[in-house]
Amino acid sequence: MSEIFEDGISRRSVIKGSIAGAGALAVGGAIGGATEANAATRALTVSLGSNQSDPAAVKNDNAWLAAAKAAGFNIKLNRVDHNTFQNQINQYLQGTPDNVFNWFAGYRMQFFASKGLTTSINDVWAKIGSQFTAGYKNASKGLDGKYYFVPTGWYPWAVLYRKSVFAAAGVDASKIITWADFIAACKVFQAKGITPIAFGDKGGWEAMGTFDFINFRTNGFKFHMDLTAGRVKWTDPRVQKTFNNWKSIFPYQSKNALDMNWDDATALLINKKAAMQVMGAFAAGNFKDPADLADLALFPFPQIDPAYGREAVEAPIDGYLLSKSAAKNASASKALAAFIGSTAYASAIAKVSPTALWANSNMPKPTDPFARQQVELVQSCKYIAQFFDRDSRPDFASPIFSNALQKFIAGGDSVAIAKDLQAQWDALPPA
Amino acid sequence: MSKIDIETKAAASGENLGRRRRSNNFTKRDRAVIAGLVGGPTILHVVFVWLPAIATILLSFCQWDGIGGLHDIHWVGFKNYTQIFTLYSDFKIALRNNTLWLLWFGLIATPLGVVLAYYLDKNLKGTKFFQTAFYLPIVLSLAVTGIIWDYIFKVNGFLNIVLGYTNADTAPSWFGDPHKNIWVVLGIASWRHIGYMMLLYLAGMKSVDPSLREAASIDGAGEWYTFRKVIFPSLRPVNIIVVVVTVIEALRAFDLVYIINRGKNGLQVLAVAVYENILGESQRIGWGAALATILFVLCLGPIMIYLYQNFKKVD
Repeated sequence: MSEIFEDGISRRSVIKGSIAGAGALAVGGAIGGATEANAATRALTVSLGSNQSDPAAVKNDNAWLAAAKAAGFNIKLNRVDHNTFQNQINQYLQGTPDNVFNWFAGYRMQFFASKGLTTSINDVWAKIGSQFTAGYKNASKGLDGKYYFVPTGWYPWAVLYRKSVFAAAGVDASKIITWADFIAACKVFQAKGITPIAFGDKGGWEAMGTFDFINFRTNGFKFHMDLTAGRVKWTDPRVQKTFNNWKSIFPYQSKNALDMNWDDATALLINKKAAMQVMGAFAAGNFKDPADLADLALFPFPQIDPAYGREAVEAPIDGYLLSKSAAKNASASKALAAFIGSTAYASAIAKVSPTALWANSNMPKPTDPFARQQVELVQSCKYIAQFFDRDSRPDFASPIFSNALQKFIAGGDSVAIAKDLQAQWDALPPA
Repeated sequence: MSKIDIETKAAASGENLGRRRRSNNFTKRDRAVIAGLVGGPTILHVVFVWLPAIATILLSFCQWDGIGGLHDIHWVGFKNYTQIFTLYSDFKIALRNNTLWLLWFGLIATPLGVVLAYYLDKNLKGTKFFQTAFYLPIVLSLAVTGIIWDYIFKVNGFLNIVLGYTNADTAPSWFGDPHKNIWVVLGIASWRHIGYMMLLYLAGMKSVDPSLREAASIDGAGEWYTFRKVIFPSLRPVNIIVVVVTVIEALRAFDLVYIINRGKNGLQVLAVAVYENILGESQRIGWGAALATILFVLCLGPIMIYLYQNFKKVD
């Protein structure tokens, strides 16, 4: 749901990268399931709904579309503005949707699957399954245990920072492990007149990242997933622990958070007016100057309760779904799904975007240092969350929870806010 | 405007003539043409205005997530309404903001438009220039107006840069305070509304018979007295339009707020709340329909009362 808030800037766009470094990858190596698809699907016609409307995303999209054409697919592309695509998804899927379309893992995928608006693709996974780890397999299944989703790329959330700003202040990012370390570092930056944590929540969704982190660092991953799914009540005292921990870093966050979008906050980082930002790694796309980008690094969100350490991370997965219309064009649609799951797809995009991160485990590891940090971060974690608005009900995340977080950031009483959240959850129609 | 006068007079006289003519002069063909001309638009009106309106009212008593057909729509009675009034905190904010909007337009923006019109009507030097300048904002759609003012007032926008704030984090935040941002938005909305009102009154004042003013000044009436007792009452048709326009503009306020922050952070208005609940992935059609129905009643109430009162006096 967060896309709706984005004021035209897509957060989901594949991480834009301008650093050269990773070698170009040849297409036509191990294509796995797609090779047999190749022979059988000469000139197979498939319609594709794409929400990749950002310039960088269009570039990536065109790269793999060319590869698919070379592999014998005749793709009828229906590219829609990213926000429009999100806003109209319900009507789109119920009307005459394209066979294959861009979507996300998590509850938002499972929701459409359970409503019968998508086509299950167990047979595709029989071909491509060996190229994905268990985490991706689980993230691609509906609530009924069937496969629906083909994961392509992902990006983690973490504490982004500038190496030069940290060096100038004498703060060592690798030593920021605990909450106390984090606050101590914040104090150093504040004393120097630098905003410690750049923070924007004008769109309402951005703060969910910080909430998720503090919540599963404070109460554990299981509690977090139970809370997003409504199995634990918002009135649970543990929710207050999360809010209180968050309050302890309020003095170090941007004062104008409610008047800044995420990219306004990232601009503070780029201009060296802020030291850190809790953000998705896609923010790197806003660092246009290669020197700035080379200065960007990340560290895992600090530990709060040692019992949970830094075992969890947010790393939303992007990919594709088959709509119900794919059932009528099954062989071609599924062949395309297999192609998207193969390294042929990823390699084609990797040529133009060498810093992108891939779900397919046969893809070579990135050589770019920032991209490698992201891979290491996620590999070091036991649990991966998708982000609040992908893990929870859309009708709760976007209008209700985002408003509550804004009230909390504006200084609202967290007990009253939690009570109100539970009352509104209870009033939602059964999912 | 005087158009209404003419129309009511025409209707009144047409009725008298028609009664005599209708029985003898209308051929079958005439009747068919009239039936077609009246019936066609009526059918279109009913199909595209009244049926959707009635469907919206019906849906406001239902629960539906926008997926599936009729069998997925569940009747829930007044549940949507009770929840909106008791649980939905945005509703209170929206109601407050729409009320402020109405009061601000009614008590400040519209009277300012009248004052401007009054002075511009005196053909002072440069009247044409000012007339154009004040009217110019109307040429832009509210969406464009919103984008322009958003660029000016946002935290790293034009105004803060002119004021010398280069750090978005320490600059004054015009839209960030949930209790004050509505006033900034009302200021922006007035920028457009005042010009609109000015134009309506200016057109009205041009049509006021100059002899009325002369007579008043010969009788020794002062300027204020003349305006209050002679000019303003003769502008009654304009007043009706102005009241209706002001009420509707205030209640349907959407574009500015939607562009600035989609009704978040204390800036919610009813129209945006309707939109946000009906569109997107998180569809609560029944809830949105209930909000729309509330908005409909709010618009309809005052306008019907006002129109009824005024046209009653005309007869």
